Amino acid sequence: MSEVQRKKYSEQEKSKIFDQEFMPNIDSMYNFAYRLTFDEDDAKDLVQDTYLKAFRFINSFEQGTNAKAWLFRILKNSFINDYRKKSKQPAKIDYQEVETYYNSDDVDYTSTTDLRVDAVKDMLGDEISNALNSLAVDFRTVIILCDLEGFTYEEMAKILDIPIGTVRSRLHRARNLLKDKLRSYASTMGYGTDEEE
Amino acid sequence: MDDNSTTSGERKLSCSDVSKCFQLLESILDGENMPNSKEMLNEKLAKCEPCFKHFHLEQAIRDVLKTKCTKQTVPSELEASIREIIQDKK
Repeated sequence: MSEVQRKKYSEQEKSKIFDQEFMPNIDSMYNFAYRLTFDEDDAKDLVQDTYLKAFRFINSFEQGTNAKAWLFRILKNSFINDYRKKSKQPAKIDYQEVETYYNSDDVDYTSTTDLRVDAVKDMLGDEISNALNSLAVDFRTVIILCDLEGFTYEEMAKILDIPIGTVRSRLHRARNLLKDKLRSYASTMGYGTDEEE
Repeated sequence: MDDNSTTSGERKLSCSDVSKCFQLLESILDGENMPNSKEMLNEKLAKCEPCFKHFHLEQAIRDVLKTKCTKQTVPSELEASIREIIQDKK
C-alpha cells in the first residue's frame, strides 16, 4: 500500500472502485488464499480481512493502476503478519530461512532435469496441484503469481517487496523444485526419462 | 511455437552459455518483453539442442500449471458477508 494518500474518494467513488475493480478479483484472491493456507475457513478469513483492509485504505489505491496486484499485496502481507503469527508452526522459521538462504540472485542455470515433455503433458490435475502444494510457501507463491495469475516480474516484485532479480531467481529455483516433484510422479507413472532412452 | 520438430537436426548438442540462454528463454516464456527477443528465441531454438529442450519443457510446465491446477470455488456467502461488514462499519 502506498503511504501517500493521493486524493480522497467520495462515497460514491469508493463504492464504484470496490464493485468494479476489487470485487471482480474475489475468485483469484480466494484461490491464492486457499493455496497459501490449505484451509477453507482460513482462506475465507484471509480474503475477508483483505477486502476490509482494501476498503479501509481505498484512498491509497490509485485508479488506473492494477487493482489485482494491489489486492494481492495486501493479502500476502495479511498472510505473513496475521495468519502466520496466529499459527505457531515452524512456518515462520522456514520463511526466514528461505529469505536469507535462497534470496541470493546467483542461480545455477546449468542444473538440468531429465523430465520429459510428454510426461508433463500427461500429468493429471491433482498431480500438478499436489506437486505445487508441496513446495515451501515462498516458492509456491512465485509460481502461483506468475503462472496461475499471470503477473509480470515487476508486479511480482511489488507484491512481494523483493527486487526483480530475486523474483527471477526465486522463480527459477521454484520451477526446478517443481520439476523434481513432477519427475518423481513421472517415474511412478512408469514414464521413461531421457536417461533411459 | 511453430517449430515443434523433435529431431535435433543441425542443432548443436551443447550450449556455450547455458545460464544466459536459459534465463533469456524463461523470461520470454514469462512474457517479459526484451528487445529482439523473438529473433533471439528463434535462433536459439533452431541452432541449440539444450535450449530447444529446455524451452519446450518449461513451456509444457507452464501450460499444465495454467490449465490443470485444481481451482477452488469461492464460497457463495463470502462476497455478501464482506459487503455486510463494510456496510455495518460505515
